[in-house]
Amino acid sequence: MDYAIEMNNVNVYIDNRHILKNISLKVPYNTVYVIMGPSGSGKTTLLRVINRLIDVNPNAKVEGVVKVLGLNALNHDPYDLRRHIGMLFQVPNPFPHMTIYDNVAVAARINNVARNKKDLYEVVKWALEKAMLWDEVKDRLHDYPHQLSGGQKQRLCLARALAMKPKILLLDEPTANIDPVNARKLEEAIISLKNEITIVMVTHNPHQAARVADYVSIIYDGRIVEQGPASQIFLKPSTEIAQKLLRGEI
Amino acid sequence: MYSWRKLKDRLFLALVLAISIVAIAPLIHLIIVTMLNGFSVILNAGLGFFTENPPTPTSKNVGGIAPSLVGSILLTALSLPITVFIALFASIMAVEFPNNPLSIAVDVVAKSLASVPTIVVSMVVYLLVVVPMGRFSILAGAIALTIVSLPYTYTYFSTYLRSVPTTYREAAFAIGMSRWRAVINVSLPIIRRGFLVTILMTMARILGETAALLFTVGRYRTGVSFSVLSPSDAIPLLIFDYILTPYKVFQEVAWGAATLLLIAYLIIFIVAKFVIKEVRL
Amino acid sequence: MISKRDKFFILSLLPFSISLLAILIITVIAITSRSIDSIAFFGIKLFTSNVWDPEHEKYGVLGPIAGSLITSLLATLTALALSIPLSILIAEYLHGAAKNFMSSIVELMSGLPTIIYAMWSSTYLSLILKTYVMDPLSKYLSFIPIFSCRVISPFTLFTAGISMGIYLVPYITALILESYNSIPITYKEACLGIGATRYETVKILLSLIKPAILASVILGIARALGETTIAVTTVGNSMYLSSCLFSPGYTVSALVASQFGNAYLYKFAESALYASSLVILGVAIVLSFTGLTIMSNWRRRVVV
Repeated sequence: MDYAIEMNNVNVYIDNRHILKNISLKVPYNTVYVIMGPSGSGKTTLLRVINRLIDVNPNAKVEGVVKVLGLNALNHDPYDLRRHIGMLFQVPNPFPHMTIYDNVAVAARINNVARNKKDLYEVVKWALEKAMLWDEVKDRLHDYPHQLSGGQKQRLCLARALAMKPKILLLDEPTANIDPVNARKLEEAIISLKNEITIVMVTHNPHQAARVADYVSIIYDGRIVEQGPASQIFLKPSTEIAQKLLRGEI
Repeated sequence: MYSWRKLKDRLFLALVLAISIVAIAPLIHLIIVTMLNGFSVILNAGLGFFTENPPTPTSKNVGGIAPSLVGSILLTALSLPITVFIALFASIMAVEFPNNPLSIAVDVVAKSLASVPTIVVSMVVYLLVVVPMGRFSILAGAIALTIVSLPYTYTYFSTYLRSVPTTYREAAFAIGMSRWRAVINVSLPIIRRGFLVTILMTMARILGETAALLFTVGRYRTGVSFSVLSPSDAIPLLIFDYILTPYKVFQEVAWGAATLLLIAYLIIFIVAKFVIKEVRL
Repeated sequence: MISKRDKFFILSLLPFSISLLAILIITVIAITSRSIDSIAFFGIKLFTSNVWDPEHEKYGVLGPIAGSLITSLLATLTALALSIPLSILIAEYLHGAAKNFMSSIVELMSGLPTIIYAMWSSTYLSLILKTYVMDPLSKYLSFIPIFSCRVISPFTLFTAGISMGIYLVPYITALILESYNSIPITYKEACLGIGATRYETVKILLSLIKPAILASVILGIARALGETTIAVTTVGNSMYLSSCLFSPGYTVSALVASQFGNAYLYKFAESALYASSLVILGVAIVLSFTGLTIMSNWRRRVVV
């Protein structure tokens, strides 16, 4: 079977510290794959290996085999790779110097998703609707993001990522800094995208994971301690770490 | 004891205030006095101050500073873009690839170049440009001005570029932008205020620089020259030469020119401070 | 793992970084190569004697070098005396619009063309200093060696020092303000917590930034060493070397400014000027790096 993302014995060193140890996982297409673990376990680093954002840190070293969308991610041109992968960050980061419209449009434009102004407008509208933000911003598309709330900013970032028409969406604790109401809205948007896009989400929150996940990997101290279908992990966690995590003890 | 402590506190404030006033007073006096001296000169000379050549030591007419004015404008027009380009691209390199040995070297070079006395730059450009060319020129002056301004412009640009929060650069990469795209469409617009302010301050520095021009541009002020490869003059240089002479008419020209320079500097400063709008992060 | 696109990016930027490097290297090589003639011919006497006689090809630049050092030191101390109170005023006592206004004034001063400082100093400050400082001091305190000469002209080492000091005030103020403002707020809160008055808080915080102040002094001297226009118009341009501050003197930059034009007529004049500039350049670079190192070490320790 083809997997959207495959990792085999991946080791990552940052500043000579061994952050990820022998990571192996397989993410099937068009599912929600959740990575859970306590702070500092390497979840964010793992995510950043997938779209090679880890390259931005000059002190990072990645070893092993990483296959993304059938391509050898570590050898492929990272800029080309990233065109197929969208990402949401822990703290929402819409471009402060661009209007709400432009924030979404720029992603579509540089990836040649739309060729003319009319198509571009359609894509932006579609992306904002999918991110459940259209109704709230349709009258102020030319305002700047600093006027939005944290939750709205994050949905704007989702729209921006969707405007790329990516095949994979990486979400790094996307609701960690948002109020619960907006968090739910974001989760709804994510679930609605499940059948079109492969989603990898990092979260701290076992309840959120239970709501959205198809598959789960539990990561602790840079190692995957347990992984499998969500139902199996949530109902019968086999390792002590997984049990502690799901109970909210670590 | 409490009231003695309070008294010391009050005395301290008084002392700080008094000395601060002494620190600022020269600037106020300088601006007032320069304007007073120079305005009367310019008003008497009228528009001719901008279009005529400087006077002879014994003439009654103040004449004008046209050759120096044209020279200063040409020098700035030549030197500013070159300085900005070199400094901008070098600082982009240093910020995007901070661990590259070349970037580290450039940082060290900028700090060293900043400690080189400007008159030494003049001597070097004389050696390497004026002597081979056989004459003074605006080109030589512009090269000297570029060397003198580069360290500051580079340092300001790299400080501003480094201040772009990493998260926005990462967001740029995450939507598939290339390095150049990320710099042009995200980093530079975010620092656009700092970027423009730096360019304005560089221009002010170039306009006011004297020592770097001493042995490079030629002090040719008997006529206006538009040729980049020929000798010319500059306003600060004219002031420098004339203020040291005993001739009253030369001194008047110097004050007039100084007022012009001061006004130009104040305009640049005010534009940089108040006109350019900041990006709300 | 460097992608092709990154390679293109770096290649497009390389020429600019390299040109900066090249400029410095060429500058140093040029000055050194032109200095060698006179150093080889005159040896150490070039720097230990004090004479400028191109007609007889006799050169000794002790006076100008000493003058550069003395005026730079005087300038920095003057600037320090004025900048510390100014920094304290801005950092501690002013808020809101007043603070912005004062900071802008300091910024304005820092970019002001030096020729204007030079004009003002030579026309006005020199006379003020002569009448109110140099004349009285040399009359009443002439037993102190640095005040012991008769003041004939207002253009002296002292005038140059004070004039450059005023020019340095914005630079030193900016350095001190930056350091003062980077003191972690916990220290300021600690002072408030023990009930210290403003004056006592400032005393404590100033002692915290002592290394930064030292660094600022060193950097100020490096800056002043390179200053030309103010020096030429106020120092008196005389090769006279004495221990008295109120006599005219020379700085290396003033010497070069006045003598370089004619130097090509003589055999060793140019080279001697390059050699003295080399000395000043060397000292300035060493001081710059020392100052910057002290500053960054302090930052790493205190600012965290």
